Amino acid sequence: MAMYNFKKIMVVPTAKDFIDITLSKTQRKTPTVIHKHYQIHRIRHFYMRKVKFTQQNYHDRLTQILTDFPKLDDIHPFYADLMNVLYDKDHYKLALGQINIAKNLIDNVAKDYVRLMKYGDSLYRCKQLKRAALGRMCTILKRQKSSLEYLEQVRQHLSRLPTIDPNTRTLLLCGYPNVGKSSFINKVTRADVDVQPYAFTTKSLFVGHMDYRYLRWQVVDTPGILDHPLEERNTIEMQAITALAHLRAAVLYVMDVSEQCGHTLPQQLELFNNIRPLFANKPLIVVANKCDVKKISELSEENQKMFADLSADGIPVIETSTLTDEGVIQVKNEACDRLLAQRVDNKMRGKKVHDVLNRLHLAMPAKRDDKERPPFIPERALLRRKAMEVDAPKRKLEKDLEMEMGDDYVLDLQKYWDLMNDNEKHDKIPEVWEGHNIADYIDPAIMKKLEDLEREEELKERAGEYDSDDESEDEEMQEIRLMAKQIREKKHLMILESKEKDVHGPRMPRTAAKVERKTLEKEMSDLGLDMSDKNNSHYAEQARRSRSVTRKRKREASVVPPASKTRSQSASRPPRDQSGLRDTKMVKKAKKMMKNSQKGMNRLGKKGESDRHVFDLKPKHLLAGKRKSGPTDRR
Amino acid sequence: MRIEKCYFCSGPVYPGHGVMFVRNDCKMFRFCRSKCHKNFKKKRNPRKTRWTKAFRKAAGKELTVDNSLEFEKRRNIPVKYNREMWDKTVEAMKKVEEIKRKRQARFIMNRLKKGKELEKEQDIMEVKKNIHLIKAPHAGKAKQMEEKMLQKVQEDADMGDEDI
Repeated sequence: MAMYNFKKIMVVPTAKDFIDITLSKTQRKTPTVIHKHYQIHRIRHFYMRKVKFTQQNYHDRLTQILTDFPKLDDIHPFYADLMNVLYDKDHYKLALGQINIAKNLIDNVAKDYVRLMKYGDSLYRCKQLKRAALGRMCTILKRQKSSLEYLEQVRQHLSRLPTIDPNTRTLLLCGYPNVGKSSFINKVTRADVDVQPYAFTTKSLFVGHMDYRYLRWQVVDTPGILDHPLEERNTIEMQAITALAHLRAAVLYVMDVSEQCGHTLPQQLELFNNIRPLFANKPLIVVANKCDVKKISELSEENQKMFADLSADGIPVIETSTLTDEGVIQVKNEACDRLLAQRVDNKMRGKKVHDVLNRLHLAMPAKRDDKERPPFIPERALLRRKAMEVDAPKRKLEKDLEMEMGDDYVLDLQKYWDLMNDNEKHDKIPEVWEGHNIADYIDPAIMKKLEDLEREEELKERAGEYDSDDESEDEEMQEIRLMAKQIREKKHLMILESKEKDVHGPRMPRTAAKVERKTLEKEMSDLGLDMSDKNNSHYAEQARRSRSVTRKRKREASVVPPASKTRSQSASRPPRDQSGLRDTKMVKKAKKMMKNSQKGMNRLGKKGESDRHVFDLKPKHLLAGKRKSGPTDRR
Repeated sequence: MRIEKCYFCSGPVYPGHGVMFVRNDCKMFRFCRSKCHKNFKKKRNPRKTRWTKAFRKAAGKELTVDNSLEFEKRRNIPVKYNREMWDKTVEAMKKVEEIKRKRQARFIMNRLKKGKELEKEQDIMEVKKNIHLIKAPHAGKAKQMEEKMLQKVQEDADMGDEDI
């Protein structure tokens, strides 16, 4: 048996839409380009393909419709009956039959025209054949317009039917219109059925779910039933009857004691007796609703007798009021219990039970000794249970306090604090001091630790750890320090001076610049020499002699009187390599310096210190060749 | 309200300052300013970044083990408020702070003593080598010689007197 899902039936398109969709699909999905000069088999194949494609599409879609819609023989009789009531079995079957016929006709058309296409000898002929084929297929479908519309409506309605499981535990509500069936289901389950004062507010079946004894129960609400014979019933009432007939449920016949529904109690009883045969083999409860308006005890004698009769028959009559919730739970429990009992009974009588029973075994532990072992309930739980029952007044809430005090009320949570001293509750607690958190220092033993620390500190102080070492340095050291400082300063100054030198001009030898006597004496006196009375010193004498005729002191002994004027003049000036030199040691040193300064020039083959000629401006070994690895700063 | 410690530089993070970063393993990192935050994002190790307290402690430049440092410790068990305990604690805090400062200063001074010795030696060397820059080698020698000569003359004269 195929499983049907009423909500998943594909949309049935209207005839016009169907045709449009299929034809456009054919146009899109088959090749479109064809020319007269193609080979004939190619042309034929092209058009045959189109015909077959269209036929395929129609066939697929129609088959899908046929399989999606449920076959009335295959589904549960409850649904079959319901569909019959709602959609008319004959009409339904006819519609599906028509679709089937259309499908076969389309197949035949396609077959015929494909056969004919084999004899098409030109593009035009094949094209006309294809046109004819498609045209006929579309006409067939156009004729199914009404069936398709009907099926679409059926589909929409089907998908909206409530899912009632016919095999599970169900409670069924029935009775006259307006007696309170929908209110009951609203109370007992989470369903939200329309409740209105006019009759036939509920026009179809509604399902609600509830839990009882850890099981799921269905509660089915039906439209009201009026009292007339079966043949005269309309669709809405028939739904209720169908439900009654097919669902194995506990039936709750709802009556309106106050007669507010517009029907008297005898009428309701009539109805009850009329549909009694439908209640065979179903646990039945009579629900006397709207008892807040009128109780059974307030009724007249005859009516009370009526109810007494019913109870005598073995049908429990329970008074309820869906407005005040009186008796609703009672009804529910009673109905559920009865239905469960019946279902269990049925199962026990069946054959399958023994398989299960053989495997079940309830183990009862044997008593070890006579000691009583009751379940343990903590005291507070017992107290709380008692409090819940008695509904004792709770403690005063802050909200109540706020209401009392109005504008004066200030929220002061600190009053609930549980401190050692109650008068400290409203203290402003310090948290931070000088960048430290006080909470990090809190320690019950802090005073002891502090004492230890202070003792340690005292010991350290006594041991002299904290004596400042402003060292009693001896004088010598201080002098040395002072001198070192001066030396460093002097060095720094010298460096600065040398930085200020002009190195961009020609490098003049040291002796080119004339040294003033004053600067010489100042420098030397800064260095600590005694520069007073130095008129007879060498440098002073030399200075005096430089303008006047020179008198060489050292050569006095072996002086040769000058022969000629030039000789005398040149003899009066000391040669350059001897001027300013005191003794041979100095001469040697001067010579050494001269040789030293010439070394560089001689090595490079220069003619003199001003020779800057470059023999090879562009040496080949540096500028030729490829750029290989290596530093490139030597070009 | 608490003054937290910056994860990177160990400086104080006052309320309303800094940034807190929570990692996927639920570890919280607080930073006092964007400098520390950016360094953290660059994955720098505070123990190797010279200006942080973590480096200084790890490199032994500051006092690490000391009793006075044991007072400030984050305690996870709250203690109920008690006025006298709080008062005592605040006073103890002040004293401990004093002692702590003294000890830290002492530690740093001790560390820098070595430098002073080195300075001394350097001065001596400097003077030995470069004394000629401020004082000529025979600066007072002329006078000394004069005095010596005078002395000698005097002695001779004395000797002569004696002879006679």
